[in-house]
Amino acid sequence: MRSWLTSPLPWQALAWLLFAAAAWLPLTPLLAPLFDGSGLAALADPRLLGLLGRTLWMSAASAVLAIALGLAYAVLCVRVRTPGARLLETLLPLPLLLPPLILAQAWFGLAELRGPWAAVFTLGLATAPLPGLLAARSLRRQQASAHESALLCGPGLALREMLSTAAPATLLGGLLAFFLAASDFAVPDYFAVQQPLFHVYAMEIFGHSRSASYADGAAAALPLVLLGLAGLFGALALQRRVRAAEVGGGRAPQPFDTGFAAKAVAAAALLTLAGLLILLPLGRILQETGNSGPLDPRSWSEVSRTAFAQVFERARSDFRNSLSFALLAAALVFLAAPFWAHALLRLERRSGTLARLGGAALAAAAALPLLVPAVALGFGAILTLDRPGLRGFYDSVWLPALLLAGRYGPIALFLLLERMRAVPEAQEDAAVLAGAAYPARVARYRLGPQAGGWWLAAGLVFVFALRELDLNILVSPMNHSASVRYYNALHFSRDNFVAACGVVLCLLLWLPLAAGTAWRALRASRGGGSGA
Amino acid sequence: MRASLRAPRIAAGALLCGLAAGCAPSPDLVVYCSLDQEFSEPLIAEFERATGLEVDAQFDVERNKTVGMVQRIRVEAGNPRADVFWNNEIAHTLRLKDAGLTEAFEPANAATLPEAYRDPQHHWHGFAARARVLLYRTDRPVRLPRSLDEMLDPEIARGGALAKPLTGTTLTHFTVLAEQRGREGALDWLRRAERSGLRWGSGNADVMRGVARGEFDWCLTDTDDAAKAIQDGYPVAIAWLDQGPPGSGTLLIPNTVAILRGAPHRAAAERFVNWLLSPAVEARLAASPSRQIPLHPGVAVPDDVRLPGRDFAPLDVNWPAVARAIEACEKEFRALLVD
Repeated sequence: MRSWLTSPLPWQALAWLLFAAAAWLPLTPLLAPLFDGSGLAALADPRLLGLLGRTLWMSAASAVLAIALGLAYAVLCVRVRTPGARLLETLLPLPLLLPPLILAQAWFGLAELRGPWAAVFTLGLATAPLPGLLAARSLRRQQASAHESALLCGPGLALREMLSTAAPATLLGGLLAFFLAASDFAVPDYFAVQQPLFHVYAMEIFGHSRSASYADGAAAALPLVLLGLAGLFGALALQRRVRAAEVGGGRAPQPFDTGFAAKAVAAAALLTLAGLLILLPLGRILQETGNSGPLDPRSWSEVSRTAFAQVFERARSDFRNSLSFALLAAALVFLAAPFWAHALLRLERRSGTLARLGGAALAAAAALPLLVPAVALGFGAILTLDRPGLRGFYDSVWLPALLLAGRYGPIALFLLLERMRAVPEAQEDAAVLAGAAYPARVARYRLGPQAGGWWLAAGLVFVFALRELDLNILVSPMNHSASVRYYNALHFSRDNFVAACGVVLCLLLWLPLAAGTAWRALRASRGGGSGA
Repeated sequence: MRASLRAPRIAAGALLCGLAAGCAPSPDLVVYCSLDQEFSEPLIAEFERATGLEVDAQFDVERNKTVGMVQRIRVEAGNPRADVFWNNEIAHTLRLKDAGLTEAFEPANAATLPEAYRDPQHHWHGFAARARVLLYRTDRPVRLPRSLDEMLDPEIARGGALAKPLTGTTLTHFTVLAEQRGREGALDWLRRAERSGLRWGSGNADVMRGVARGEFDWCLTDTDDAAKAIQDGYPVAIAWLDQGPPGSGTLLIPNTVAILRGAPHRAAAERFVNWLLSPAVEARLAASPSRQIPLHPGVAVPDDVRLPGRDFAPLDVNWPAVARAIEACEKEFRALLVD
């Protein structure tokens, strides 16, 4: 076997070169303003400190709600033989596909929610799929033998065993939910209508970003960036302390096959969760496609049909562009993220302070593109990449793909790192002894048993890339995208059009997912696969 | 295990498809536009049909509070991509002029525009305006304010709402107030508003929706949002603010258009700006659902479009001063309201 094939070095270098081009290069104009310390002025200003405090509690409360809802949903779908669980599990990603502001409007329409708790509720629901999807994946990888042994000692221990299995992934999902909630201010702003008003720190970042100096926004973001890094290191440290409770390829525990009454309770609970997370808001959005004023002579279906026709007529090419950008970004991340994650894992497993410090620095640098405001990343991309010699590249589909991969790649990186930790070292050691090529070692022995997690990581990148708005406004080829069309119409209160756009977006993404799940289920029923 | 090797091949295949997609063709004109895409896009398409030029129109979004086109123009200044900025308001266009990011051009069609909406140095031109108006319920007795100060009467304020003056036309409106009364006067108004029972929305469309739903009796909003509620058939109507003594008047905020410094397609940009400033385009925008108010004299308008000077008194505004003050005002309003 040739050494370049077996050596990690060329592959790692290539992958990190991609990361540098996609994320670090556009960040370079921001680093000086970001770390000039002026953002820390917030800690001395009682008003800004108040905003930071409110951001903290609002994001933490949203993340706790997201974890509670997501974990409950995952347990009911995966570990209890609940009727309709498979279908409802395929619905779980849907809240992530909609911008949180649309969910906020849907919940206002449903329950006239107001105030800070309405923001917590909406952000918690919007981000619940993150811990939910990750927990479901973990629960499927739990060792049946460990679970069954725990069950022999009593249901309490079995429950603890199950939760400790799902904890690292759920925690990571909760952390992502926290980041998303902390950087969102459209939702808190939407619910802050009555006195006393309440706001979050992201509003301050937005305000600074509009000043004559583009760098002010980046500088103001420092407290949230530091908070994000602290959260990330906390989560990584906690994950390291959790034993590798999952293995791949082995027998998965059977779902609890309970009696009729317990099944009915579980089904009711799952349906309630699905209602809260998906069915009620989506139903409301669907209803809004046909809403009209009291004097409009047209029927609901006529108005709705018109709204969908307008979406297909006006937004078709925007949807096509958005899907291309997101697909390419996800493909780039799918290929590169295993190498990124494996590099961090190797540093983590090395003994010595220097290696550990290097690993921590690399993890922080890798998280940075996700933690800085997207607006700042957009400015950085313009300043570094919009050059006469690069015009062909700047105007191609590759710039959006690269920037979106850089922005959301860290999600895949940390998710895969968590997945790789769950695979016993011995598997890869055996592959090294057998002389397996490095990409095969990573793909087969590190990620082979975790292929679902690999797809999930790329899927999350795809979803976040599709939802991206700030970069799309700023970077030329990204402007013709679904999110720009969608928010442009939202601002100008074209409510039917916006609702129809949301439904089309959801269906567009959900139908392939549902088809894939159905295909896997069919294969499993014919004995062709595990169905997991 | 086979699946684990198949998946990277699929991803690599997707990337190859991306390679095949290649680069976008180079346009003949690049327009950055912050007017509603629904209304500006068909007009730009009409320009393309009429001239055979290919226009790359890039759109702004204000709803999610993105930073938008103005900052993009600033950041791109070293290597300009856009030829024309079609802004749906005026203050930020003037800020770009002050920053030296626009170029002079005197289009023939601008000659008949009122002087108040033209730059003496021809860097920008105003057309097709929106007015800041009250939208109110007609199916219940509503005590309407006649001026901004009357809004603070607790009896009137209780049923009213306005967007927080942190972005968009509401920020422009309160910067104009700050220019008239001094910064402290505007801040005092906002402090009193917080105590009066007035409610704040996150945008003009939100407060308009609140009136349409019956949640508020009235709101301060723009004519295009108000027109939408009326067209949708809600029992609402428009009232004009500050139609009292001489010197008062309703604030009119025009669209503005400017050629950007270093425009890569200057000739096409001039053609576009002249076309955009034609009375025919103003007539189209007046007839559109957004009911933009034409500034050219003699433009045919639908019956429900009110004209400045004929149907209401417009407010005289020192726009350059407003543009200079808007950033500082935003900071102070934010410090007061965002806590």
